[in-house]
Amino acid sequence: MEACPIGSLNPGRGGEDMVEFNVLGFLIDWSTFFAIYAILAISLNLEIGYTGMANFGKVAFYAIGAYLSAVLTIVAFLTIFGVSAPLYSVDTVIALGEHGAELPWLNIGLFILSIVLSAIVAGVVGYLVTYPTLRVGPAFLGITILSFGEMLRFFLRNYEPLGSTYGLFGVPHPFQWIPNPTVRTGIYALIVLGIMFGIYIYAERLVNSPFGRVLRAIKDDEVAALCLGKHVPRIKATVLFIGSAMAGVAGALYLFYLGSVNPDMFIPRVTFDIWAMVILGGMGNNKGAIVGAAIITFVDRALTFITPSLGLTAYITPDYIRWMTVGLLIVLVLLFKPGGLIPEKPIKTPALEIADKIEEG
Amino acid sequence: MPELLETVDVAKYFGGVRALDGVSIKVKEGSVIGLIGPNGSGKTTLFNVITGFYVPERGEVWFNNERIDGLNPNEVYLKGLVRTFQIPRLFPSLTVLENVIITPPYQIGERVLDAPFKKRWEKQEVDLAKKAVELLRRFGMGKYIKSKISELSAAHIKMLETIRGLLASPKILLLDEPAAGVAYTTAKELFEYILRLRSEQGLTFLIIEHRLEVLMDYVDYVYVLHNGKLLSEGKPEEVVQDPKVIEAYLGG
Ligand SMILES: Nc1ncnc2c1ncn2[C@@H]1O[C@H](COP(=O)(O)OP(=O)(O)O)[C@@H](O)[C@H]1O
Ligand SMILES: [Mg+2]
Repeated sequence: MEACPIGSLNPGRGGEDMVEFNVLGFLIDWSTFFAIYAILAISLNLEIGYTGMANFGKVAFYAIGAYLSAVLTIVAFLTIFGVSAPLYSVDTVIALGEHGAELPWLNIGLFILSIVLSAIVAGVVGYLVTYPTLRVGPAFLGITILSFGEMLRFFLRNYEPLGSTYGLFGVPHPFQWIPNPTVRTGIYALIVLGIMFGIYIYAERLVNSPFGRVLRAIKDDEVAALCLGKHVPRIKATVLFIGSAMAGVAGALYLFYLGSVNPDMFIPRVTFDIWAMVILGGMGNNKGAIVGAAIITFVDRALTFITPSLGLTAYITPDYIRWMTVGLLIVLVLLFKPGGLIPEKPIKTPALEIADKIEEG
Repeated sequence: MPELLETVDVAKYFGGVRALDGVSIKVKEGSVIGLIGPNGSGKTTLFNVITGFYVPERGEVWFNNERIDGLNPNEVYLKGLVRTFQIPRLFPSLTVLENVIITPPYQIGERVLDAPFKKRWEKQEVDLAKKAVELLRRFGMGKYIKSKISELSAAHIKMLETIRGLLASPKILLLDEPAAGVAYTTAKELFEYILRLRSEQGLTFLIIEHRLEVLMDYVDYVYVLHNGKLLSEGKPEEVVQDPKVIEAYLGG
């Protein structure tokens, strides 16, 4: 748990080892955060940008992925190494520290398993939480998920077996057995970027298909889509399954990067950060979501790295500067490019190519 | 020939307004039926009840020997009952072509598990696109295939609403004032095309029209609605002679 200095996107730890500016460290840290948030932005964009579902509780599914991965990994380690201690206890943290680098395949296996299970569990929860609300109108959907996320957070804050407000600590890194922290976090960053790229490709294919066409139709006029035989409630629930599953994956990746998790990492503000990325980058465009994530995580990480050397008072935290910067960026972009940096584009199915061909010959 | 569609004593109220008050109509398979009546007589409401948009206060709707009142609009659509809207409901973020090819049901590429794999649905998509382009060209919209809806004139929008219904390969097509606002010659072409579809493919039509004379030459049988009730029915040439019909039109 040494390398990563954590700032406002993940409240909880300070960047005390960052005395001088470490470019490689910064790049690794930023690209990991960027990739995790890009996954979240792509998932939100699928919901709001393509289908028109305002999900104000994205953070809940992110939290589910992170907590699930933490519990799974800690329980597996304790079981395999025969330690009987509560999940949140000094004994557990010591045991995890002792055995965390012993069996490389255990770490990697748990990492992969966590990702898969996080996707499934977050997806199913997303489907279940939202399905009953889909019939009553879009406003209810947003509020329901927002409240669900807050309820989940308050539950976690008060649930002792999962460490209440302190959360869970000491989750071994998937590459704990690599001694050099730069190599370790570097490899991890590449893997997270790879997963993000895979999710991007998947999302691109999904939206540039007849399915994506139906999503846009639902966004425009869901009653008309229903009257054209499309099972709108089921399609929306499916999109929420996919979006929540992606958020679950992001949660798992976040957990293994930090090695710890606590309820207040998942305040509603995280959801609105993701919204800001989508609005800035461009609704209804996956590339836009990625650009938005890149800009906002860059501002965030840069401020986290730089502020300690600015000698600001305790009242002006990186958080304030970040809010001002992000707010200003959004205002400027919406002023000059109302559709976001990369606005919505027509869907790329073969249909329009056919039209071109027929037109020519 | 068997009845394809039948409503039995259908009623629909909006507060105190009896938009439909006991309407029974029958549509035989392969027929082209007109539904006329002055503004506000309940024609569109009858479509809305038939297609599952509204649940009737009373009465039954039968399609293909199956009771369909109470089904959701998407379920009704999938049974082969396709309607157009009097005020077109097109999708502004889709192109003209996409607004048309979205209508055929059960597309492979619309299934979430198949959607990411273009190979699985590409052929169907190409076939549909060809048919759609052909239809668009037939009705003078070849130039607008890749246009956005916002770039179309009102007449083209109206035409597009009808064209997309045609591509859905329904068993029965319910058209709500397809000729309203459309150029006279285009409307004529449309009705002639409807007759051709009927004779070539046995397609059935129920067509709402405000003005009787527009439909005269094309329909087999006409129902006249007035204040939510059937005022008259019969062959078009009989109905135009009916004093009650003449009075209803003159009076209101
Ligand atoms: N959704 C609705 N709410 C309230 N009144 C309605 C609604 N739809 C139709 N009506 C009323 O029902 C009557 C029949 O309307 P409609 O079926 O649209 O007539 P038509 O299509 O024959 O012109 C009218 O008086 C109309 O105002
Ligand atoms: Mg009407």
